[in-house]
Amino acid sequence: MRTTFSDSLVQLACRDHRVVLLTGDHGYALFDAFRSRCASQYINAGVAEQNMVGMAAGLARAGFKPFVYGLSAFVPIRVLEQIKLDVAHDNLPVVFLGDGAGFVYSTLGTSHQATEDIACTRAIAQLAVFSPADHFELSLCMQHAYDLQRPVYLRMGKADRGEVHTAQLKLNVPGQLFRVRPGSEGGLSLIATGSLVKTAVELAGRAFPDATVWSAPFLKPICVAQAAQICAQSCALVTLEEHSIHGGLGSLMAEISTTSYPRPILRVGVQDRFSELCGSYEYLLVEHGLDIDSIERQVRGFTARLERDCSRSSSMPGTAVELAS
Amino acid sequence: MSIDAVSSFEPARLRKTILDMALAGSTVHIPCAFSIVELLAVLHRSFLRYPGNDPEAPERDYLVLSKGHGVMAQYACMYEKGWIGQQEINGYFSDGSKLKGLCDSRLSGLEVTSGSLGHGFSVGVGLAFGIHIKTRSQKVYAIVGDGELNEGAIWEGALFAAHHGLAHFMVIVDENGYQAMGATKEVLNLGSVEEKFASFGFEAMTIDGHDERAIEMAIAKLWASPRRSPKAIVAKTIKGKGVPFMEGNNKWHYTRLSADTYARAIEALGLTKL
Repeated sequence: MRTTFSDSLVQLACRDHRVVLLTGDHGYALFDAFRSRCASQYINAGVAEQNMVGMAAGLARAGFKPFVYGLSAFVPIRVLEQIKLDVAHDNLPVVFLGDGAGFVYSTLGTSHQATEDIACTRAIAQLAVFSPADHFELSLCMQHAYDLQRPVYLRMGKADRGEVHTAQLKLNVPGQLFRVRPGSEGGLSLIATGSLVKTAVELAGRAFPDATVWSAPFLKPICVAQAAQICAQSCALVTLEEHSIHGGLGSLMAEISTTSYPRPILRVGVQDRFSELCGSYEYLLVEHGLDIDSIERQVRGFTARLERDCSRSSSMPGTAVELAS
Repeated sequence: MSIDAVSSFEPARLRKTILDMALAGSTVHIPCAFSIVELLAVLHRSFLRYPGNDPEAPERDYLVLSKGHGVMAQYACMYEKGWIGQQEINGYFSDGSKLKGLCDSRLSGLEVTSGSLGHGFSVGVGLAFGIHIKTRSQKVYAIVGDGELNEGAIWEGALFAAHHGLAHFMVIVDENGYQAMGATKEVLNLGSVEEKFASFGFEAMTIDGHDERAIEMAIAKLWASPRRSPKAIVAKTIKGKGVPFMEGNNKWHYTRLSADTYARAIEALGLTKL
Protein backbone atom coordinates (compact mmCIF):
# COMPACT_ATOMS: atom_id res chain seq x y z
CA MET A 1 0.00 0.00 0.00
CA ARG A 2 2.83 2.41 0.80
CA THR A 3 4.60 1.53 -2.45
CA THR A 4 1.37 2.30 -4.28
CA PHE A 5 1.16 5.57 -2.40
CA SER A 6 4.67 6.56 -3.43
CA ASP A 7 4.15 5.37 -7.02
CA SER A 8 0.84 7.25 -7.34
CA LEU A 9 2.41 10.46 -6.11
CA VAL A 10 5.37 10.16 -8.45
CA GLN A 11 3.07 9.36 -11.35
CA LEU A 12 0.81 12.34 -10.69
CA ALA A 13 3.76 14.68 -10.21
CA CYS A 14 5.55 13.53 -13.37
CA ARG A 15 2.37 13.96 -15.40
CA ASP A 16 1.46 17.33 -13.92
CA HIS A 17 4.19 19.70 -12.86
CA ARG A 18 1.72 21.74 -10.86
CA VAL A 19 1.67 18.90 -8.32
CA VAL A 20 3.85 19.71 -5.33
CA LEU A 21 4.42 17.59 -2.25
CA LEU A 22 4.77 19.30 1.10
CA THR A 23 5.86 17.39 4.14
CA GLY A 24 6.31 18.48 7.71
CA ASP A 25 9.68 16.73 7.96
CA HIS A 26 8.04 13.30 7.85
CA GLY A 27 8.16 10.34 5.47
CA TYR A 28 11.85 9.54 5.66
CA ALA A 29 12.28 6.72 3.09
CA LEU A 30 8.78 7.00 1.71
CA PHE A 31 9.65 9.85 -0.62
CA ASP A 32 12.98 8.59 -1.98
CA ALA A 33 11.49 7.98 -5.43
CA PHE A 34 9.64 11.29 -5.40
CA ARG A 35 12.73 13.20 -4.35
CA SER A 36 14.90 11.63 -7.01
CA ARG A 37 12.39 11.96 -9.87
CA CYS A 38 10.53 15.15 -8.95
CA ALA A 39 13.05 16.99 -6.81
CA SER A 40 11.79 20.46 -7.68
CA GLN A 41 8.26 19.51 -6.65
CA TYR A 42 9.31 18.31 -3.19
CA ILE A 43 9.08 20.77 -0.30
CA ASN A 44 10.12 19.89 3.21
CA ALA A 45 8.36 22.65 5.14
CA GLY A 46 10.09 21.67 8.36
CA VAL A 47 8.48 20.81 11.66
CA ALA A 48 6.01 23.63 11.13
CA GLU A 49 2.67 22.16 10.16
CA GLN A 50 0.53 25.27 10.58
CA ASN A 51 2.68 27.24 8.18
CA MET A 52 2.83 24.25 5.83
CA VAL A 53 -0.96 24.18 5.43
CA GLY A 54 -1.20 27.95 5.04
CA MET A 55 1.50 27.79 2.38
CA ALA A 56 -0.33 24.98 0.61
CA ALA A 57 -3.31 27.33 0.38
CA GLY A 58 -1.07 30.03 -1.07
CA LEU A 59 0.47 27.60 -3.55
CA ALA A 60 -3.01 26.44 -4.61
CA ARG A 61 -3.98 30.07 -5.15
CA ALA A 62 -0.85 30.49 -7.26
CA GLY A 63 -1.97 27.62 -9.51
CA PHE A 64 -0.29 24.59 -7.93
CA LYS A 65 -1.86 21.33 -6.81
CA PRO A 66 -0.42 20.72 -3.36
CA PHE A 67 -0.39 17.34 -1.63
CA VAL A 68 0.31 17.86 2.06
CA TYR A 69 1.75 14.89 3.90
CA GLY A 70 1.93 14.31 7.62
CA LEU A 71 1.07 11.84 10.31
CA SER A 72 -2.67 11.94 10.83
CA ALA A 73 -2.08 12.95 14.44
CA PHE A 74 -0.72 16.23 13.02
CA VAL A 75 -2.35 16.50 9.60
CA PRO A 76 -5.27 17.03 10.06
CA ILE A 77 -5.50 17.20 13.86
CA ARG A 78 -2.85 19.78 14.68
CA VAL A 79 -3.77 21.98 11.72
CA LEU A 80 -7.52 21.66 11.72
CA GLU A 81 -8.14 25.39 11.74
CA GLN A 82 -5.75 26.01 8.86
CA ILE A 83 -7.51 23.29 6.88
CA LYS A 84 -10.89 24.82 7.64
CA LEU A 85 -10.05 28.46 7.04
CA ASP A 86 -7.14 28.59 4.61
CA VAL A 87 -8.17 25.70 2.38
CA ALA A 88 -11.71 24.33 2.80
CA HIS A 89 -13.42 27.69 3.14
CA ASP A 90 -12.23 28.68 -0.30
CA ASN A 91 -12.55 25.18 -1.78
CA LEU A 92 -8.90 25.06 -2.82
CA PRO A 93 -7.59 21.87 -4.45
CA VAL A 94 -5.29 20.71 -1.67
CA VAL A 95 -4.99 17.01 -0.77
CA PHE A 96 -4.10 16.19 2.82
CA LEU A 97 -2.43 12.82 3.30
CA GLY A 98 -2.70 11.67 6.90
CA ASP A 99 -0.45 8.67 7.43
CA GLY A 100 -0.31 6.25 10.34
CA ALA A 101 -3.95 6.74 11.34
CA GLY A 102 -5.42 4.72 14.16
CA PHE A 103 -2.93 2.72 16.19
CA VAL A 104 -0.12 2.32 13.65
CA TYR A 105 2.28 3.99 16.09
CA SER A 106 1.26 1.54 18.76
CA THR A 107 4.38 1.90 20.85
CA LEU A 108 4.57 5.69 20.83
CA GLY A 109 1.41 6.54 22.67
CA THR A 110 -1.39 9.02 22.16
CA SER A 111 0.66 11.85 20.62
CA HIS A 112 1.15 9.77 17.46
CA GLN A 113 -2.20 7.99 17.39
CA ALA A 114 -5.24 9.43 15.63
CA THR A 115 -8.70 8.08 16.27
CA GLU A 116 -10.64 11.33 15.94
CA ASP A 117 -9.49 12.52 12.52
CA ILE A 118 -12.48 11.30 10.51
CA ALA A 119 -14.92 12.93 12.91
CA CYS A 120 -13.03 16.22 12.82
CA THR A 121 -12.64 16.36 9.06
CA ARG A 122 -16.14 15.14 8.22
CA ALA A 123 -17.54 18.19 9.98
CA ILE A 124 -15.51 20.65 7.90
CA ALA A 125 -17.61 21.98 5.04
CA GLN A 126 -16.41 21.29 1.48
CA LEU A 127 -13.72 18.85 2.66
CA ALA A 128 -13.91 15.33 1.21
CA VAL A 129 -12.76 12.41 3.37
CA PHE A 130 -11.30 9.17 1.99
CA SER A 131 -10.15 6.09 3.87
CA PRO A 132 -8.75 3.33 1.63
CA ALA A 133 -8.38 -0.28 2.79
CA ASP A 134 -5.79 -1.68 0.40
CA HIS A 135 -3.58 -0.62 -2.46
CA PHE A 136 -6.40 -0.89 -5.02
CA GLU A 137 -8.54 1.52 -3.04
CA LEU A 138 -5.57 3.78 -2.35
CA SER A 139 -4.80 4.02 -6.03
CA LEU A 140 -8.42 4.91 -6.78
CA CYS A 141 -8.55 7.44 -3.94
CA MET A 142 -5.32 9.14 -5.02
CA GLN A 143 -6.50 9.54 -8.60
CA HIS A 144 -9.95 10.70 -7.49
CA ALA A 145 -8.41 13.19 -5.03
CA TYR A 146 -6.29 14.60 -7.85
CA ASP A 147 -9.27 14.80 -10.24
CA LEU A 148 -11.71 16.37 -7.81
CA GLN A 149 -10.35 19.95 -7.73
CA ARG A 150 -11.46 20.39 -4.14
CA PRO A 151 -9.97 19.81 -0.71
CA VAL A 152 -9.58 16.17 0.30
CA TYR A 153 -8.39 14.43 3.44
CA LEU A 154 -7.01 11.01 2.60
CA ARG A 155 -6.53 8.83 5.65
CA MET A 156 -3.97 6.07 5.57
CA GLY A 157 -4.00 3.54 8.38
CA LYS A 158 -2.25 0.22 8.84
CA ALA A 159 -0.84 -0.48 5.41
CA ASP A 160 0.12 -4.15 5.50
CA ARG A 161 -3.12 -5.90 6.32
CA GLY A 162 -3.35 -7.52 2.89
CA GLU A 163 -5.63 -6.94 -0.07
CA VAL A 164 -9.39 -6.93 0.09
CA HIS A 165 -9.85 -6.52 -3.65
CA THR A 166 -8.39 -8.61 -6.44
CA ALA A 167 -8.28 -6.11 -9.29
CA GLN A 168 -8.15 -2.41 -10.09
CA LEU A 169 -11.33 -0.60 -9.12
CA LYS A 170 -13.49 1.66 -11.18
CA LEU A 171 -15.62 4.37 -9.68
CA ASN A 172 -19.14 4.04 -11.04
CA VAL A 173 -20.72 6.69 -8.85
CA PRO A 174 -19.08 9.24 -6.57
CA GLY A 175 -18.86 8.04 -3.00
CA GLN A 176 -19.32 4.42 -3.99
CA LEU A 177 -19.16 1.58 -1.47
CA PHE A 178 -17.61 -1.65 -2.69
CA ARG A 179 -18.98 -5.09 -1.85
CA VAL A 180 -15.99 -7.21 -0.89
CA ARG A 181 -17.90 -10.30 0.20
CA PRO A 182 -21.36 -11.41 -0.95
CA GLY A 183 -23.90 -12.55 1.62
CA SER A 184 -27.61 -13.21 1.93
CA GLU A 185 -30.08 -10.50 1.11
CA GLY A 186 -31.92 -9.44 4.25
CA GLY A 187 -29.07 -10.65 6.43
CA LEU A 188 -26.41 -8.88 8.37
CA SER A 189 -24.20 -6.31 6.62
CA LEU A 190 -20.72 -5.51 7.83
CA ILE A 191 -19.58 -2.10 6.62
CA ALA A 192 -15.97 -1.27 7.29
CA THR A 193 -13.37 1.28 6.33
CA GLY A 194 -9.57 1.29 6.18
CA SER A 195 -7.68 -1.31 8.14
CA LEU A 196 -10.77 -3.07 9.48
CA VAL A 197 -12.16 -4.06 6.07
CA LYS A 198 -9.80 -7.02 6.01
CA THR A 199 -10.92 -7.95 9.53
CA ALA A 200 -14.56 -7.72 8.49
CA VAL A 201 -13.99 -10.10 5.58
CA GLU A 202 -12.19 -12.59 7.80
CA LEU A 203 -14.81 -12.29 10.50
CA ALA A 204 -17.66 -13.00 8.09
CA GLY A 205 -15.77 -15.95 6.68
CA ARG A 206 -15.25 -17.56 10.02
CA ALA A 207 -18.30 -16.60 12.05
CA PHE A 208 -21.05 -14.96 9.98
CA PRO A 209 -21.14 -16.75 6.64
CA ASP A 210 -24.38 -15.12 5.50
CA ALA A 211 -23.12 -11.60 6.14
CA THR A 212 -22.38 -9.24 3.30
CA VAL A 213 -19.22 -7.17 3.70
CA TRP A 214 -18.83 -3.70 2.27
CA SER A 215 -15.86 -1.41 2.13
CA ALA A 216 -16.42 2.33 2.39
CA PRO A 217 -13.32 4.17 1.15
CA PHE A 218 -15.26 7.36 0.44
CA LEU A 219 -16.68 8.64 3.69
CA LYS A 220 -17.51 12.08 2.39
CA PRO A 221 -19.20 12.50 0.10
CA ILE A 222 -20.58 8.99 0.37
CA CYS A 223 -23.17 7.70 -2.09
CA VAL A 224 -26.17 8.12 0.20
CA ALA A 225 -28.51 6.28 -2.17
CA GLN A 226 -26.28 3.21 -2.20
CA ALA A 227 -25.72 3.33 1.56
CA ALA A 228 -29.49 3.58 2.10
CA GLN A 229 -30.00 0.66 -0.25
CA ILE A 230 -27.59 -1.41 1.83
CA CYS A 231 -29.67 -0.54 4.89
CA ALA A 232 -32.84 -1.56 3.03
CA GLN A 233 -31.37 -4.93 2.13
CA SER A 234 -30.03 -5.69 5.60
CA CYS A 235 -31.69 -6.77 8.83
CA ALA A 236 -28.97 -5.05 10.83
CA LEU A 237 -25.64 -3.35 10.33
CA VAL A 238 -22.25 -3.61 11.94
CA THR A 239 -19.79 -0.83 11.20
CA LEU A 240 -16.08 -1.35 11.78
CA GLU A 241 -13.39 1.32 11.93
CA GLU A 242 -10.08 1.94 13.64
CA HIS A 243 -11.47 5.25 14.80
CA SER A 244 -13.72 6.62 17.48
CA ILE A 245 -17.30 5.40 17.48
CA HIS A 246 -18.20 9.09 17.66
CA GLY A 247 -18.34 10.84 14.34
CA GLY A 248 -16.82 8.24 12.05
CA LEU A 249 -18.22 5.58 9.74
CA GLY A 250 -20.58 4.25 12.43
CA SER A 251 -22.10 7.65 12.97
CA LEU A 252 -22.32 8.20 9.24
CA MET A 253 -24.24 4.97 8.64
CA ALA A 254 -26.49 5.71 11.59
CA GLU A 255 -27.27 9.12 10.12
CA ILE A 256 -28.14 7.59 6.75
CA SER A 257 -30.07 4.66 8.17
CA THR A 258 -32.18 6.70 10.51
CA THR A 259 -33.43 8.89 7.68
CA SER A 260 -33.89 6.09 5.13
CA TYR A 261 -34.29 2.52 6.37
CA PRO A 262 -33.84 2.48 10.15
CA ARG A 263 -31.92 -0.60 11.21
CA PRO A 264 -30.19 -1.72 14.39
CA ILE A 265 -26.53 -0.75 14.12
CA LEU A 266 -23.55 -1.96 16.11
CA ARG A 267 -20.74 0.57 15.88
CA VAL A 268 -17.44 -1.23 16.35
CA GLY A 269 -14.64 1.22 16.94
CA VAL A 270 -12.65 3.02 19.57
CA GLN A 271 -14.62 3.88 22.68
CA ASP A 272 -14.32 7.26 24.37
CA ARG A 273 -10.80 6.64 25.60
CA PHE A 274 -7.12 6.97 24.77
CA SER A 275 -4.67 4.08 24.73
CA GLU A 276 -3.69 3.08 28.22
CA LEU A 277 -0.64 0.95 27.48
CA CYS A 278 1.69 0.31 24.60
CA GLY A 279 2.89 -2.70 22.65
CA SER A 280 2.55 -4.17 19.20
CA TYR A 281 -0.17 -3.00 16.81
CA GLU A 282 -2.02 -6.25 17.49
CA TYR A 283 -1.72 -5.65 21.21
CA LEU A 284 -3.27 -2.19 20.89
CA LEU A 285 -6.15 -3.61 18.87
CA VAL A 286 -6.82 -6.03 21.72
CA GLU A 287 -6.67 -3.20 24.27
CA HIS A 288 -9.34 -1.37 22.29
CA GLY A 289 -11.42 -4.46 21.53
CA LEU A 290 -10.69 -4.24 17.82
CA ASP A 291 -8.98 -7.59 17.28
CA ILE A 292 -11.02 -10.16 15.43
CA ASP A 293 -11.90 -12.21 18.53
CA SER A 294 -13.14 -9.18 20.46
CA ILE A 295 -15.14 -7.98 17.49
CA GLU A 296 -16.68 -11.43 17.04
CA ARG A 297 -17.81 -11.37 20.66
CA GLN A 298 -19.33 -7.92 20.20
CA VAL A 299 -21.17 -8.93 17.05
CA ARG A 300 -22.46 -12.17 18.59
CA GLY A 301 -23.72 -10.24 21.57
CA PHE A 302 -25.41 -7.76 19.25
CA THR A 303 -27.13 -10.42 17.13
CA ALA A 304 -28.17 -12.35 20.23
CA ARG A 305 -29.79 -9.22 21.66
CA LEU A 306 -31.57 -8.60 18.40
CA GLU A 307 -32.90 -12.15 18.24
CA ARG A 308 -34.07 -11.88 21.83
CA ASP A 309 -35.82 -8.61 21.07
CA CYS A 310 -37.31 -10.08 17.89
CA SER A 311 -38.77 -13.02 19.73
CA ARG A 312 -40.24 -10.71 22.38
CA SER A 313 -41.94 -8.53 19.79
CA SER A 314 -42.23 -10.71 16.74
CA SER A 315 -45.11 -8.62 15.52
CA MET A 316 -42.87 -5.61 14.99
CA PRO A 317 -42.57 -5.01 11.27
CA GLY A 318 -39.18 -5.34 9.71
CA THR A 319 -37.49 -7.10 12.60
CA ALA A 320 -38.47 -10.71 12.04
CA VAL A 321 -35.41 -11.49 9.99
CA GLU A 322 -32.86 -14.19 9.73
CA LEU A 323 -29.71 -13.13 11.50
CA ALA A 324 -26.52 -14.76 10.44
CA SER A 325 -25.43 -17.66 12.60
CA MET B 1 -17.04 52.35 -12.68
CA SER B 2 -13.37 52.67 -11.87
CA ILE B 3 -12.31 55.82 -10.15
CA ASP B 4 -8.80 54.48 -9.68
CA ALA B 5 -7.46 56.90 -12.25
CA VAL B 6 -8.60 59.90 -10.29
CA SER B 7 -8.22 58.55 -6.77
CA SER B 8 -5.17 59.53 -4.85
CA PHE B 9 -6.14 57.32 -1.93
CA GLU B 10 -6.17 60.39 0.24
CA PRO B 11 -5.96 59.18 3.86
CA ALA B 12 -8.61 61.51 5.26
CA ARG B 13 -11.01 60.39 2.57
CA LEU B 14 -10.27 56.73 3.32
CA ARG B 15 -10.89 57.35 7.01
CA LYS B 16 -14.20 58.97 6.21
CA THR B 17 -15.27 55.90 4.24
CA ILE B 18 -14.31 53.77 7.25
CA LEU B 19 -16.38 55.98 9.54
CA ASP B 20 -19.32 55.86 7.12
CA MET B 21 -19.18 52.07 7.09
CA ALA B 22 -18.75 51.79 10.84
CA LEU B 23 -21.72 54.06 11.43
CA ALA B 24 -23.88 52.30 8.85
CA GLY B 25 -23.00 48.87 10.21
CA SER B 26 -22.95 49.95 13.84
CA THR B 27 -19.68 48.13 14.14
CA VAL B 28 -16.34 48.19 15.92
CA HIS B 29 -12.66 47.77 14.90
CA ILE B 30 -12.31 51.36 13.71
CA PRO B 31 -8.91 52.17 15.29
CA CYS B 32 -7.16 49.09 13.89
CA ALA B 33 -8.39 50.10 10.44
CA PHE B 34 -7.22 53.68 10.95
CA SER B 35 -3.70 52.55 11.87
CA ILE B 36 -3.11 51.00 8.42
CA VAL B 37 -4.70 53.70 6.28
CA GLU B 38 -1.46 55.33 5.10
CA LEU B 39 0.15 51.94 4.52
CA LEU B 40 -2.70 50.82 2.28
CA ALA B 41 -2.92 54.20 0.58
CA VAL B 42 0.74 54.07 -0.46
CA LEU B 43 0.55 50.43 -1.51
CA HIS B 44 -2.49 51.04 -3.71
CA ARG B 45 -1.24 54.33 -5.07
CA SER B 46 2.33 53.38 -5.86
CA PHE B 47 2.99 49.66 -5.73
CA LEU B 48 0.15 47.19 -6.13
CA ARG B 49 -0.30 46.20 -9.76
CA TYR B 50 -3.76 45.10 -10.87
CA PRO B 51 -3.67 44.82 -14.69
CA GLY B 52 -6.89 46.23 -16.09
CA ASN B 53 -7.86 47.26 -12.55
CA ASP B 54 -8.99 43.65 -12.18
CA PRO B 55 -8.71 42.35 -8.60
CA GLU B 56 -8.64 38.80 -10.00
CA ALA B 57 -6.01 39.39 -12.71
CA PRO B 58 -3.70 36.36 -12.63
CA GLU B 59 -0.61 38.58 -12.94
CA ARG B 60 -1.59 40.86 -10.06
CA ASP B 61 0.44 41.56 -6.96
CA TYR B 62 -1.05 40.10 -3.80
CA LEU B 63 -2.12 42.15 -0.83
CA VAL B 64 -2.70 39.69 1.98
CA LEU B 65 -4.49 41.31 4.88
CA SER B 66 -3.52 38.81 7.55
CA LYS B 67 -4.70 41.36 10.08
CA GLY B 68 -8.33 40.80 9.12
CA HIS B 69 -9.66 43.14 11.77
CA GLY B 70 -8.47 46.12 9.73
CA VAL B 71 -10.58 45.13 6.75
CA MET B 72 -12.55 48.39 6.61
CA ALA B 73 -9.36 50.16 5.51
CA GLN B 74 -9.11 47.79 2.55
CA TYR B 75 -12.84 48.24 1.79
CA ALA B 76 -12.20 51.99 1.68
CA CYS B 77 -9.42 51.41 -0.87
CA MET B 78 -11.61 48.99 -2.85
CA TYR B 79 -14.23 51.72 -2.97
CA GLU B 80 -11.64 54.12 -4.36
CA LYS B 81 -10.74 51.54 -6.98
CA GLY B 82 -14.37 51.10 -7.96
CA TRP B 83 -14.48 47.44 -6.88
CA ILE B 84 -17.30 48.15 -4.47
CA GLY B 85 -19.89 50.92 -4.64
CA GLN B 86 -21.67 53.39 -2.42
CA GLN B 87 -24.40 50.82 -1.87
CA GLU B 88 -21.94 48.45 -0.17
CA ILE B 89 -20.57 51.28 1.97
CA ASN B 90 -23.98 52.48 3.07
CA GLY B 91 -25.33 48.96 3.43
CA TYR B 92 -22.45 47.61 5.53
CA PHE B 93 -23.69 44.70 7.66
CA SER B 94 -27.19 44.93 6.22
CA ASP B 95 -28.87 41.55 5.75
CA GLY B 96 -27.33 39.69 2.83
CA SER B 97 -24.23 41.89 2.71
CA LYS B 98 -21.10 40.38 1.14
CA LEU B 99 -18.78 42.66 3.09
CA LYS B 100 -18.09 41.09 6.45
CA GLY B 101 -16.45 42.34 9.59
CA LEU B 102 -13.32 40.32 8.86
CA CYS B 103 -11.65 39.31 5.58
CA ASP B 104 -13.50 36.81 3.42
CA SER B 105 -11.52 35.89 0.32
CA ARG B 106 -14.65 35.12 -1.67
CA LEU B 107 -14.93 38.87 -2.13
CA SER B 108 -12.75 40.04 -5.01
CA GLY B 109 -10.08 42.31 -3.61
CA LEU B 110 -9.50 40.24 -0.48
CA GLU B 111 -6.93 37.52 -1.03
CA VAL B 112 -7.37 35.45 2.13
CA THR B 113 -9.92 34.61 4.74
CA SER B 114 -8.52 36.04 7.93
CA GLY B 115 -9.57 37.23 11.32
CA SER B 116 -8.30 34.19 13.08
CA LEU B 117 -4.79 35.52 13.48
CA GLY B 118 -1.58 34.12 12.05
CA HIS B 119 -3.16 32.60 8.94
CA GLY B 120 -2.62 35.13 6.16
CA PHE B 121 1.11 35.35 6.69
CA SER B 122 1.60 31.69 5.77
CA VAL B 123 -0.76 31.89 2.82
CA GLY B 124 1.28 34.86 1.65
CA VAL B 125 4.49 32.87 2.04
CA GLY B 126 2.89 30.11 -0.05
CA LEU B 127 1.92 32.61 -2.75
CA ALA B 128 5.45 33.99 -2.73
CA PHE B 129 6.92 30.51 -2.91
CA GLY B 130 4.71 29.76 -5.93
CA ILE B 131 5.91 32.97 -7.60
CA HIS B 132 9.50 32.00 -6.71
CA ILE B 133 9.09 28.56 -8.33
CA LYS B 134 7.53 30.04 -11.44
CA THR B 135 10.14 32.81 -11.52
CA ARG B 136 7.47 35.46 -11.90
CA SER B 137 7.90 39.08 -10.87
CA GLN B 138 4.74 39.51 -8.81
CA LYS B 139 5.05 40.81 -5.29
CA VAL B 140 3.33 39.63 -2.13
CA TYR B 141 2.60 42.02 0.72
CA ALA B 142 1.37 40.54 4.00
CA ILE B 143 0.03 43.02 6.53
CA VAL B 144 0.08 41.70 10.07
CA GLY B 145 -0.72 43.30 13.38
CA ASP B 146 1.81 43.39 16.19
CA GLY B 147 -0.60 41.50 18.45
CA GLU B 148 -0.82 38.90 15.70
CA LEU B 149 2.90 38.25 16.13
CA ASN B 150 1.98 36.32 19.28
CA GLU B 151 0.95 33.51 16.92
CA GLY B 152 3.60 30.82 16.44
CA ALA B 153 2.58 30.18 12.83
CA ILE B 154 4.00 33.60 11.89
CA TRP B 155 7.45 32.54 12.98
CA GLU B 156 7.16 29.17 11.25
CA GLY B 157 6.44 31.09 8.06
CA ALA B 158 9.26 33.55 8.71
CA LEU B 159 11.74 30.68 8.97
CA PHE B 160 10.50 29.23 5.68
CA ALA B 161 10.48 32.54 3.80
CA ALA B 162 14.03 33.32 4.87
CA HIS B 163 15.35 29.81 4.29
CA HIS B 164 14.05 29.85 0.71
CA GLY B 165 15.10 33.44 0.03
CA LEU B 166 11.60 34.59 -0.93
CA ALA B 167 12.69 38.01 -2.13
CA HIS B 168 9.22 38.83 -3.48
CA PHE B 169 7.64 38.58 -0.05
CA MET B 170 7.25 41.62 2.18
CA VAL B 171 5.66 41.58 5.60
CA ILE B 172 4.43 44.92 6.92
CA VAL B 173 3.87 44.94 10.65
CA ASP B 174 1.28 47.42 11.87
CA GLU B 175 2.98 48.10 15.18
CA ASN B 176 0.26 50.11 16.88
CA GLY B 177 1.23 48.77 20.29
CA TYR B 178 -2.15 47.35 21.20
CA GLN B 179 -3.92 44.03 21.07
CA ALA B 180 -7.36 42.96 22.20
CA MET B 181 -6.82 43.12 25.95
CA GLY B 182 -4.23 45.84 26.26
CA ALA B 183 -0.81 47.11 25.29
CA THR B 184 1.37 44.53 23.55
CA LYS B 185 4.16 45.32 25.99
CA GLU B 186 1.91 44.33 28.87
CA VAL B 187 0.30 41.27 27.32
CA LEU B 188 3.29 39.56 25.69
CA ASN B 189 6.26 41.80 25.14
CA LEU B 190 7.58 41.45 21.60
CA GLY B 191 10.83 43.33 22.10
CA SER B 192 12.26 44.68 18.88
CA VAL B 193 10.18 43.41 15.98
CA GLU B 194 12.72 44.64 13.45
CA GLU B 195 15.51 42.76 15.19
CA LYS B 196 13.39 39.65 15.39
CA PHE B 197 12.69 39.60 11.65
CA ALA B 198 16.29 40.55 10.89
CA SER B 199 17.50 37.66 13.02
CA PHE B 200 15.30 35.31 10.98
CA GLY B 201 17.02 36.52 7.81
CA PHE B 202 14.64 39.25 6.64
CA GLU B 203 15.89 42.56 5.37
CA ALA B 204 14.08 44.74 7.89
CA MET B 205 13.54 48.38 8.68
CA THR B 206 11.38 50.47 10.98
CA ILE B 207 9.49 53.54 9.82
CA ASP B 208 6.73 55.93 10.79
CA GLY B 209 3.65 54.11 9.50
CA HIS B 210 1.72 57.34 8.97
CA ASP B 211 4.41 59.12 6.94
CA GLU B 212 3.44 58.36 3.37
CA ARG B 213 6.76 59.49 1.94
CA ALA B 214 8.68 57.34 4.42
CA ILE B 215 6.49 54.34 3.59
CA GLU B 216 6.99 54.82 -0.13
CA MET B 217 10.74 55.21 0.21
CA ALA B 218 11.08 52.21 2.49
CA ILE B 219 9.14 49.88 0.20
CA ALA B 220 11.02 51.11 -2.88
CA LYS B 221 14.35 50.77 -1.10
CA LEU B 222 13.67 47.22 0.04
CA TRP B 223 12.50 46.08 -3.41
CA ALA B 224 15.59 47.65 -4.93
CA SER B 225 17.86 45.73 -2.61
CA PRO B 226 20.03 43.09 -4.29
CA ARG B 227 19.71 40.79 -1.28
CA ARG B 228 17.81 37.58 -1.99
CA SER B 229 15.84 37.70 1.22
CA PRO B 230 12.27 38.44 2.27
CA LYS B 231 11.55 41.98 3.45
CA ALA B 232 10.03 43.31 6.65
CA ILE B 233 8.76 46.77 7.39
CA VAL B 234 7.90 47.59 10.96
CA ALA B 235 5.47 50.49 10.73
CA LYS B 236 5.16 52.41 13.96
CA THR B 237 1.52 53.46 13.99
CA ILE B 238 -1.12 54.88 16.27
CA LYS B 239 -4.24 52.87 16.84
CA GLY B 240 -7.10 55.18 15.95
CA LYS B 241 -4.80 57.63 14.12
CA GLY B 242 -6.55 60.78 12.99
CA VAL B 243 -9.23 61.02 15.65
CA PRO B 244 -7.74 62.20 18.95
CA PHE B 245 -10.40 60.67 21.19
CA MET B 246 -9.74 57.28 19.62
CA GLU B 247 -5.96 57.43 19.49
CA GLY B 248 -4.30 55.05 21.91
CA ASN B 249 -7.63 54.35 23.59
CA ASN B 250 -8.15 50.61 23.40
CA LYS B 251 -11.79 50.93 24.42
CA TRP B 252 -12.43 52.13 20.90
CA HIS B 253 -11.45 48.67 19.62
CA TYR B 254 -14.86 47.65 20.96
CA THR B 255 -16.84 50.87 20.73
CA ARG B 256 -19.52 51.72 18.18
CA LEU B 257 -20.10 55.17 16.77
CA SER B 258 -23.05 57.29 17.73
CA ALA B 259 -24.29 60.17 15.61
CA ASP B 260 -22.39 62.45 17.97
CA THR B 261 -19.04 60.61 17.96
CA TYR B 262 -19.33 60.18 14.19
CA ALA B 263 -19.75 63.94 13.77
CA ARG B 264 -16.86 64.66 16.14
CA ALA B 265 -14.64 62.17 14.33
CA ILE B 266 -15.44 63.72 10.97
CA GLU B 267 -14.70 67.12 12.39
CA ALA B 268 -11.42 65.89 13.88
CA LEU B 269 -10.39 64.69 10.45
CA GLY B 270 -11.16 68.14 9.07
CA LEU B 271 -13.65 66.61 6.70
CA THR B 272 -16.82 68.51 7.27
CA LYS B 273 -16.66 69.80 3.73
CA LEU B 274 -15.94 66.42 2.05
